[in-house]
Amino acid sequence: MVVTGRSVVLALLAVGAVLVSGQISPQVTALSSAVVVALLVLDVLLAASPRAMRLMREGDTSVRLGEAATLSLVLHNPTRRTLRGRVRDAWPPSAHVEPRSTPVRVTGGERRRTGVRLTPSRRGDVRAAGVTVRAIGPLGLAGRQRTLAAPWTVRVLPPFHSRRHLPGKLSRLRELEGQHTAMVRGQGSEFDSLRDYVRGDDVRSIDWRATARNDGVVVRTWRPERDRRILVVLDTGRTSAGRVGDTPRLDHSMDAALLLAALAGRAGDRVDFLAYDRRVRAQVRSGGKGSQIEQLVTAMAPLEAALVESDPAGMAGTVMAQGRTRKLVVLLTDLDAAALEENLLPRLPALTSRHLLMVASVRAPEVDAMTRERGTPEALYRAASAERTLAERRRVTAELRRMGAEVVDADPDHIAPALADAYINLKAQGRL
Amino acid sequence: MSTSETGWRRVWRAVRIPGAVLIVLVVVAVLASLGDEQFPEGHMDPGSVDPQGGRALVQTMQEDRDVHVVRSADGAEQALDAAGDNSVLAVFLDHRLEPGEVRSLAELESDTLLVQPTLQTLEEFAPGVDMSGRTESDETLDGGCALPAVASAGPADVAGELYEAAPGQAVTECYAAASGSAVVQVEHGSGTTTVVGTDHFMTNTELADEGNAALAMNLMDAEDVVWLRPDVHVPEDSATLTELLPRSLLWSAVPLVGALLLLALWRGRRLGALVPESLPVVVRAAETTEGRAGLYHSRKARDRAAAALRTGFLDRVQGKLGLRPDDPRETVVSALATRLGEDPVRVRALLYPDRPDPYAGDDEALNRLAEELDERARRLR
Repeated sequence: MVVTGRSVVLALLAVGAVLVSGQISPQVTALSSAVVVALLVLDVLLAASPRAMRLMREGDTSVRLGEAATLSLVLHNPTRRTLRGRVRDAWPPSAHVEPRSTPVRVTGGERRRTGVRLTPSRRGDVRAAGVTVRAIGPLGLAGRQRTLAAPWTVRVLPPFHSRRHLPGKLSRLRELEGQHTAMVRGQGSEFDSLRDYVRGDDVRSIDWRATARNDGVVVRTWRPERDRRILVVLDTGRTSAGRVGDTPRLDHSMDAALLLAALAGRAGDRVDFLAYDRRVRAQVRSGGKGSQIEQLVTAMAPLEAALVESDPAGMAGTVMAQGRTRKLVVLLTDLDAAALEENLLPRLPALTSRHLLMVASVRAPEVDAMTRERGTPEALYRAASAERTLAERRRVTAELRRMGAEVVDADPDHIAPALADAYINLKAQGRL
Repeated sequence: MSTSETGWRRVWRAVRIPGAVLIVLVVVAVLASLGDEQFPEGHMDPGSVDPQGGRALVQTMQEDRDVHVVRSADGAEQALDAAGDNSVLAVFLDHRLEPGEVRSLAELESDTLLVQPTLQTLEEFAPGVDMSGRTESDETLDGGCALPAVASAGPADVAGELYEAAPGQAVTECYAAASGSAVVQVEHGSGTTTVVGTDHFMTNTELADEGNAALAMNLMDAEDVVWLRPDVHVPEDSATLTELLPRSLLWSAVPLVGALLLLALWRGRRLGALVPESLPVVVRAAETTEGRAGLYHSRKARDRAAAALRTGFLDRVQGKLGLRPDDPRETVVSALATRLGEDPVRVRALLYPDRPDPYAGDDEALNRLAEELDERARRLR
């Protein structure tokens, strides 16, 4: 049951009628009230039944964070009456749905398409809450409304801001493969092919055996190893919930992981993905060659940092159980001294003996800024506390390096390119 | 369900303090009102304990006679009928009586005491007696007449309105003043009418002074005293506010309430329910560091703060000096001293102080340490 502003005007007219009625006011009151009530009831009864409406949805099922998704809603009116009123497609507040409600008019038996735009401000799955149909009667006085289920889910994907670094890193990679210019010999240790000598080639790369069989001088070309396996492990424990700037550390880590995966995919390596805190939260296994960015992004979208202490021992066990093949394990976590020293370091030798471990961590620029605070005693204590935090980080970093792991520690703006560079360097050194 | 439980808990938390205050107020008010007798108020009211009340006189008289307190002329007539022959009617505040009521009371011809009567009442009860003037009210007058009631009472504070009888009328005048007498008694049919120009001497405050009490008791010397203090007369047929308003205005309230309900429904009805959403955890990554800073500050952990500042400084300069983290202290000190051109003893005192640390003495010293470290870090840059 809903009423409109028109019904209020009608009731006020009844008030006016009673006011001017004089001695017969009781009768006029009864009559006018009865008329108002009768008209309202009539209008409610004559309105199209919102419950009978049929809803169909179409549109985007996924959108990158920061972009807009367009959805359309088809409203089918199977009754013989005309539906007049409003339709509200309800979504959670963080979906920022526009418009909030739409006026509609659907004659009996017809369909009408309305649409909404979602501009989600949070990553993850956004679920439609239902469609409320308000049907107003032919007099425009009152009507009925009903919320109908119209399930739809839009997956809001990580924004992948670090995409802009991809062309630069790819050109470095091509340089590495010797494809960039003919003058530069491809690095790496894997034999690629034989080709004719051109002036400028390194004489050390001349293959004398092949030259003897051919007319001209032939050189060997080399390329970096291909088809290596990379396992990106994302720590979704409590340390990933901390916000660096305005974004959780987890999201910065995802960004870095996506750039690494994009790069590795182009370089011909295979990328697996694992999200872990105390159990496996998400997992992607590479099916074959080529980019897996879509799969990764979809797997990452619903991940949220859990407020539990991560279990690096379980994580190491899961990694070990993924097969004996040597691979690069990239662990995206926080260099939190207490958590790492207690749980991860004891398991490290087993891990590094079989795999190459790289630990990447987003450092908070706030802490770096705190070390420079001076003036009041309070600022000094803050600076001292920040120095202590950094010293602990350095200690853990040194410890990890001593045990054979690579460590990438950079602020949010530089973590993705730094991780990509570290990967390219490993590839250049042939350590994969 | 947990949400409804927390909802109820929130309501309970919001309500309990105002509720407790309200209960305490009610209890205090009830306790304070216990044993508190309500006395009527008003000038010469027989129950009033105010300075201007008449409770003292009435209580005194009730020891040896019956005092019937009545609030209307009809009540006075009935009380006089019920009482015996030896009765007296005392009339206070007679301006509240209607002329007809005064006349019918006068026709009873009982012994009457008029206290500061109006001219109309005076005319009905004591024709020929007229008001002749006033005296100051704090004067004490001498009786000076043959009236036994006055003679035994002596001087009294009866100064007020003064009366004078027409020449040739049988009258007893007492408490003579300049322009008349304060107490006048005339025959009135089968009884007498005594007129007193003031009630001042009968009030609670004045009763004990001079011969006031005796005079008052003597003036109402009878077995039954009918004490008439009329209430303010309420006209019976006056219209109430609702009767004065037009009927249509009253009836229009019915559709008006309906219109307001419709207005509330129109503006208040939501287009579908609110959509709930679980909010993410907001923790700043630097929070533990800030927490530790607060801990240092509150506990004045200057030794730890100084150590942290030195470690930070050493970590920054070691790379520039080509030192390794595990180099011995002596190497670090000599390298720094050489590079800075400073006395190694001074550098050593700054970085590796003796116990107790001179830089951890107070906040000022800690600040000096930070400045000296910063200054050296700048020179090494």
